[in-house]
This record gives sequence, structure tokens and C-alpha cells, in this order.
Amino acid sequence: MGKTRIGGNKRHIVNFLSMTGLTLIFIAYMFPFLMVIINSLKQKRDIIKSPFSWLFTIKGLSFDNFVKAFTQMDFLNAIKNSLFVTGSATILVTVFAAMLAYYIVRHRNAMSKVTFVLMVASMIIPFQAIMIPLVSIYGGTLNILNHRPTLIFMHVGFSMSMSVFMFHGYIKGNVPIALEEAACIDGCTHVQTFFKIVFPLLKPIISTMVILNALAFWNDFLLPSLVLTDKKLLTLPLSTYSFYGTYSADYGTIMAGLLLCVLPILILYVVLQKQIIGGVVAGAVK
Amino acid sequence: MKSKDRMKDFGIFALPGMFCFFTVVMIPFIYGIYLTFTDWNGVSQVKNFIGIKNFVGVIRDTQFWVSLLLTFQYVILVVILVNIIAFAIGFLLTRGIKGQNFFRTGFFTPNLIGGIVLGYIWQFVFSRVLVGIGENTGWGLFESSWLSEPDKAFAALVLVSVWQLSGYMILIYVAGFMGLSEDVMEAASIDGASGWVKLKNIILPLMMSSITICLFLTLSRAFMVYDMNLSLTAGGPYGSTEMAAMHVYEKAFTSRQFGIGQAEALILFLVVACISGLQVYLTKKQEVEA
Amino acid sequence: MTRKMMRFLTLLFMSVFVVTALTGCRFGFASDPDDPNAVTEQVPIDTSVDTFPYDSGLAGTDIVLLNTKAEIQVALEEMAQVFEERSGVHVEVMPVMDGESPYTKVVSLYNSGNPPTLSILDTTDVIALAQEKAEELGGEAWTAEAEEYLTKVDGVVYSFPLCIEGRGIIYNKAVIENALKEEFDPSAVKTQEDFVTLLDRLVQAGIEKPVSMAKEDWSLGAHQLQYIYETYDGTSEGTQKVIEGIKNGEIQLSEYQRLNEFLNMFDILKKYNVAWKDPLGADYDEMAIDLADGKTAFWFNGNWAWPNLSEAGAQSDEEYGFLPYFLNNDESDFANQMIQGSPSKQIMMDGRMASEAQKAAAKEFLNWIVYSEVGQQMLVRTCNLIPPFKNNPYEPGDPLSRDIYEHVQTGRAFNASAIVPNDHWSVLGGAMQKYLADRCDREEFMQSITRYWKEQ
Repeated sequence: MGKTRIGGNKRHIVNFLSMTGLTLIFIAYMFPFLMVIINSLKQKRDIIKSPFSWLFTIKGLSFDNFVKAFTQMDFLNAIKNSLFVTGSATILVTVFAAMLAYYIVRHRNAMSKVTFVLMVASMIIPFQAIMIPLVSIYGGTLNILNHRPTLIFMHVGFSMSMSVFMFHGYIKGNVPIALEEAACIDGCTHVQTFFKIVFPLLKPIISTMVILNALAFWNDFLLPSLVLTDKKLLTLPLSTYSFYGTYSADYGTIMAGLLLCVLPILILYVVLQKQIIGGVVAGAVK
Repeated sequence: MKSKDRMKDFGIFALPGMFCFFTVVMIPFIYGIYLTFTDWNGVSQVKNFIGIKNFVGVIRDTQFWVSLLLTFQYVILVVILVNIIAFAIGFLLTRGIKGQNFFRTGFFTPNLIGGIVLGYIWQFVFSRVLVGIGENTGWGLFESSWLSEPDKAFAALVLVSVWQLSGYMILIYVAGFMGLSEDVMEAASIDGASGWVKLKNIILPLMMSSITICLFLTLSRAFMVYDMNLSLTAGGPYGSTEMAAMHVYEKAFTSRQFGIGQAEALILFLVVACISGLQVYLTKKQEVEA
Repeated sequence: MTRKMMRFLTLLFMSVFVVTALTGCRFGFASDPDDPNAVTEQVPIDTSVDTFPYDSGLAGTDIVLLNTKAEIQVALEEMAQVFEERSGVHVEVMPVMDGESPYTKVVSLYNSGNPPTLSILDTTDVIALAQEKAEELGGEAWTAEAEEYLTKVDGVVYSFPLCIEGRGIIYNKAVIENALKEEFDPSAVKTQEDFVTLLDRLVQAGIEKPVSMAKEDWSLGAHQLQYIYETYDGTSEGTQKVIEGIKNGEIQLSEYQRLNEFLNMFDILKKYNVAWKDPLGADYDEMAIDLADGKTAFWFNGNWAWPNLSEAGAQSDEEYGFLPYFLNNDESDFANQMIQGSPSKQIMMDGRMASEAQKAAAKEFLNWIVYSEVGQQMLVRTCNLIPPFKNNPYEPGDPLSRDIYEHVQTGRAFNASAIVPNDHWSVLGGAMQKYLADRCDREEFMQSITRYWKEQ
């Protein structure tokens, strides 16, 4: 990416300093992960007695923790559930939120204003405040818990406000109404205009929101634990349940399980990283 | 435009999103408010209307106000630190530094892991790894576990929250800086505007919309911190780091005073709503219309 | 360039972790084949004899068992599987994670209209939920086998006592004998004074700080502090009486003998605590390792600590056992002679939402645990629990449970269950932590207890 620029010695020094600073902060940021990776390969005893020791100085370096995590989590089944839930919810919330935000920006009537304010306000509702009412309505009254579509629907509902908020800001700032008016003259319907003209313009914010939402869905623990109880439906974080004991945690397996959970999302992030940067640049050029 | 078209537009564009939002968030929330006026304990078959008795209970619950005060201290520290760090790093990462994509990916990684698990990792780091380092090096700072002293445990909580949240905010600031046209930055350099002046007069005003969003997000997330609180310190040592959201949960389920817990959640909501409302109002005023 | 680097990293991650996990290959040095979550030292279950009368009409029924005892999750699953093979009833074992309280889980499951048919709960949870939700179990045959361990709410039995758990001061016999170069007879330690003498001798022999003490609030608040109620006279009735007394102010804590005695003992443990520099930084897993390694000789805990000890390298043929929580120097005081052992975990059965078939299947499962040859064995050997049922002929396999079992059999255990509010352990556990870390004195500590009970 690095664009070379004209600059004197001062610039070089500044660059060097910021580079060093960044690297130091970066190492501090990565420290816990380093610990996780190292310790995921150790036995419990070594983890507790010598958490910091490097891999080669201890006796039982092995992939046992991974094997155990993999089987106990029923990894293949759990990742299937996670992919299904995260994938569907992410797609739905992206499309619905983009459309709703677009509607709110372009139709400045009382209802859209009220909806928007409610949404922003709802972003600060503590989850504890709706937890029990939520399960008693969806479980007690409607009896539709323990289905993956219910979880997807709730994920969409909970992430709607944040997504609309972000799309709203972006559309307001970066989507000129002139383009739509031109399309309107060409005889496009509103739906066509939206999907052909507006939606592509939203690419940068879409990739950002896909990342953020997908991460939230992938890692969420509390909501899925309320909705899903059937073992066959458990998502990845739920499947690491049994590693946390009442009295003591099984650190090695937890860390191995954690890496197994993170891996897919890491891949997604690395793949989409290109989209984000490319998108943001495209957006900036306008 | 014809009203039939309007209805159609509304039905296609607004309805699906609004439906999900209202049925999942608003209805349970309103139902929850209703519950604060009843004596329902989460289990019983009958709900009796008891007026504002639960709110009286909230006022009497001194521990709640203590935890709310602590939450304020926490929020102030976290919001300031997160935004300064994220703003600075976001700026550096859009200056064409070597490997900036790698850094962007790296700084975001704390967000790849959910809050509960993160807390466990850090608990491990604070209570085992750092103590281990302390023992080997004799550094007094790490000799005892940070989590066993109220002040240090609080510091640990702030530190970890900053660590996690700043990654997220870096992403938003990076997007913001990339949205600034290169001309503005170059022009500022050519004008010979020096560091602070440039920052204050040119960059900050243009970044105001990113700042509004980041402040709002950090504010609301910090206020509602729960996962991390639970898994890093669990409120300990002796309840000294119990934040408001965690107290609400404990009240409702550990102390089994569901109505009071629900009422406290509502009050927490109102507090956060007022503060973030004020913040958005104030920062919006500073925004330069794009 | 950076992108390439990233792709490379991803590939590395993927290939290393996924591939090795999939193929199950390992490298490095041989590691011990111990698996902490599986129950240690599997004694084979003899399945040749099974005279239990299964009701074939129940085959195909699905029931759910909510398990709040995380350390037996794997064992319970195994048990459920064996039961299903024989009865056709599917028992789904649902775990509860640390940090998520069992009560919350049950409440939210009830609200979701999908409660577990059976739930393993603490006694206080059973009492809170019984009359609203639970099925009466007083008519079941097994009640006769465990009479003294039944919990009654207003005279009605709503729960099944799953196991007896005992606690006290765990000793590692070999460590003591190696240090003192003489035979160690636990029954020769009769008073607080004897205990201190023993500790001092160990210190002289080179074990600098011979005691481990958990900093967790459940250990301090529930397992230690509750001695002040339970040792009133060693019965559940007496316990209730003293709690009432503290609540309504009849008992002044500063003059309550048992509290002062308890704090004296606590101070002794504190003085010899291996984590004396940072008592609130003590690590539970490390305590198990220290005791097994001989860095310490004592650990205040219960028989549920065995999986941790075994993981730390303790063998089941080694001698570990319990000393009482010595309260004074009176040899005839029962508190200096007996170990506390009570049915801490109970199974409650749902009476609201479960169908008749589910109820019948759940009852069959409970009966199977008590009466079938296979169920009896699995309760003791697979789950490693101490059965409260007189008809169960099997003896626990690990030293800690065996010691509690022997205490119970020979009348050297007392069963006093303190029924305290659910937040007792967390609130007063916090106060105990403060006292443990020397951040408050006895007076302030007593005030927090008084204040707590006043608020109830």
C-alpha cells in the first residue's frame, strides 16, 4: 500500500519513531495471544507452574489439547451450526439494515425519525434487562426456542439498531441523491435503484458491518445459550462449555478450543481485509 | 409521489428491519418495564401489581449506587484512553507506513474473541504469567497478582477494556481518515501548519463524525461492561470491582430479587441514555457538514 | 507484500491446527495420557448382572438432566448412554458453565417453556423452586434408603439426594511422614493445639508453609464460614436455630463462642498459608499441585478436589484423608472429632411441564441409580460420588471419597445442612476475603455478618 512521498530527513525520523512505537504497542497487543498459542500446546501442570516458559524447555509439548478440544466440542457439527447461524444472520441484517437506513435517510417523516431515535436509544439497553422477558415471550408464549432460525432472527433484531446507525451515517455522507434522481429519470423503480445504484456504493461500510456483525454473532455466548439447548444445535462458543469447570478451568483445552473457534473468523477477516481497504479507498475517491 | 408507492416503499425497505427490531428488542423491553411494577420473581405463576415498591428497593440498595459510581470512574477512564489511543493509531495507520495492513489486522484481533473468553485469558495472564515474570525478575509491580488488590484489579479491568475496545475504534478511525481526502492533508502540510495547529484546526473538525460514533460506542459499551467484568475479576476482590451491569445481574439472580434487578437495569438504561444523548448532542454540534 | 504475508500466516495457522487436530497426530515428547475431564482410573463396570425391571413402555422417551456439577459431566453422559442402551430412554445431559449460575439457568429454561426434566441443584436452589415447580417425590421407594439425607420443604420431599460431600483439612500422609520421619496417625491429632504442634514440626522439618487455602468466595463463604452455624450442635435443626438467633439479634456475634473459635482456627490456617504473601492471588489448581508435590501438607477443601489432585499427579493408592476443622482444645467436642458430610447436591424433578411419560422415565432413571447393579456401580465408580443410599454396596475408589465414606460409616461425620440465602456465599465470602487479606479486623468482620443478616 505504502505510497512514497516527498519528504526530508525529519519525515524519515518521524516515520521511524512511529514505526517503532507502533511495533512496541503491537507486541503488547499480541502478548496474550502469544500466551494462548504457547500454552495451548502445554499440559495443565506446565501451564500453571511455568506459564511463561518457552515450548522447548518443558516436557510435554503436544497437540493433545487440540485433539481433545476438537472431539469434545464436536467441532465439525458446531462449526456447521456456527456457519449457518452467522452466515444467514449476517446476510439478513446487512440487507435489511441497509434498506431501512436508506429509507430513513430519504424519507424524513415523523415515523422514520422516531424509529431512528428508538434504535439509537436501544443500543444502550443492558441485555440483562430484556433477557428474561425475551425468553418468556419467545419460549413461554410462542414456544419457538431451540430452533436455529429463531436465533438468527434474534441476532438480526439485536444487531439491527447498530447496523442502521452505521449505514445511516454513511449514506448521509457518501451517497449523493443526484445519482438516484438520474436513475429515476431512466425509469428505474425504487427497488432497482437501490440495488443497482445505492447498494454498490455502500461497499466499504458493508464490508465493515459484515465483519463486525459476523464477529459478534460468531462469538456471542449469552443469547445462544438462552435460545439453544439442544446439543445438536450448539454453536462453537457454546460447545466449549464443558472446559470451564466449577472449581477449576481446563486451561490447555480452553486455549486450544479458543484457537479452533477463532480460526474461521480469522480467515474471513484476512480475506475481507482486502475488500475493506479497497472499498474504503473507492468510497473516498467518490 | 403517490401514497400507494409510499406504502410500497415502506413495506419493502423499512418493514423487514423494523419488524425484527421491534419484536426482538422493543417488545421484550417494554414487557420488562411492566415487570418492574410487579412482584414477579422470575419463577412464580402469578404477577401482582405492586406499584413502585421495586424502585424504593433500588434506592435502598446502597451497593447499586456504589457500583454505579465505580462504573462512572471506569467509563471516564476507558472512554478517554480508548479514543486517544485509537485516534493516534488510526492516524498512523493511514500515513502509508510499511506493513500498515498487517498492523490493522493485528490491532483488531482482540475483537476476534468474545468477551468472556478474553476475560479468562487475561485472568490467566494477570494471575499466572505476570506473577511468574515478577517472581523471576523481582519486579515489585508484578510480585503479587493484580487481581487480588482492589485498585490494581480495577486498573486491570480498565487496561483490558482499553486493549479490546481500541482495536474496534481503530477500525472506525481508519475508515474516517481514509475518507478525508489526501488533498486536505497535503494542503495542510504545504501551508506549513505545524502539528498541533493542523490537528486542531483541520483534522479534528473533519473527523468529528467518526469521533461522535466512537465516543458513543465506547461510552455505551463501557457502561454496559459485563462479560469482561465477570470473567476477569468476577467483581472481586471482595466485590470491589463489581460494575453496574454485573450488579444488576447478581441482584436479579444471585440475590433473587428479580423485580429490583429489573428496575436497576431500567435505571442504568436511563443513566446511559442521558449521558450518551448529551454526548451525541454536543459532538454533533462540532461536526462539519460533509 | 503484507497481503502475501497474511495469506502465508493464515495458511500456516490452518495447516498446523486443523490438520493436526483432524488427524490427531502429535509431536514432541511423550505426554502422560491423563485426561482431566474424563474420570480418573476407570474401574471397569460389571454389566453382566442387571436385574432392574425396565419399563419397555417408556422406550423412546426423551428427558433432559441439567448438570451443575461440571466435574462429572463426562461421567454423567456415559451413565446416560448406558441407561439408554438398557431402557431406551434418552437422557440428554445439559451442562451449566462456570459464571452462569444454576439457578439462572433453571429460571430462564422455565421461562422459555422448556425446563429440564431433572436438575441437579444445590439445596438452597431446591428450596427456592420446590413448591412452585417441583414434582413431589415423597412416595418413591428410594426415600427409605437415604432417610437421614432427605431435604424436606414443609415436610414434603421434592428432591433426590445425589451424593454426600464432605470437607475438612486434607492431608497428604506421605509428605508428613517423609518430613517427620515417623508414622503419621491422623486420629492422634485431637485438638487445635495438637494441630499447631504438628504444623510447627513440619515447619522445622523444612516445609516452610504447610497449608493451602483457597481464596475463592465459595470456599471461604460457604465451606469455611458455615462452620459457625453447622457446629452449633452438629444437626440441621441446630443450624437453623443459630441462624434464626443471629437474624433476630438474640445471638450477639461477639459473644458467640463458635464464631470466635472458628476465627482462631482460620487465623492458624492463615498463618501457615503457603500463599501468605498474596493470599488473594492463590490459585486453585496450583494448590492441588503443591499438595501432590509435597510443597504443602494440608489443603482446606472437600472430596470433590480429587480430580484436581489426581490431575496433579496424586495416585489413588496414596493416602490422602481429612482432619476435622479443629475449633478448640477440648478433645470431647464433636467438632474436633468429626468431619462435616452432607448431601449438597440434589436432583429436582420438574412437575409443571413434563409429560407423564417423561416423569415416569425420570423416575425410572432415579430408581435405576439406586437399585440397579449397573446404576449403583456407575454412581460410585464412573461419577466417583459417595452414595447416600444404604443399599449401595460399592465403595468409592479415590482416597478422599473413601475417607469421607469411612467417616460416615463409622459415625465420625456429622450432617448439618445450613439453609442460607443464595447470596450468602458471595456477600460474606467477600467479607472473608477481606479478613484473609488482613484488610479488616475481627470486629469489622463480625459487623458485616450482622449487617448481612439484618438485611434479610
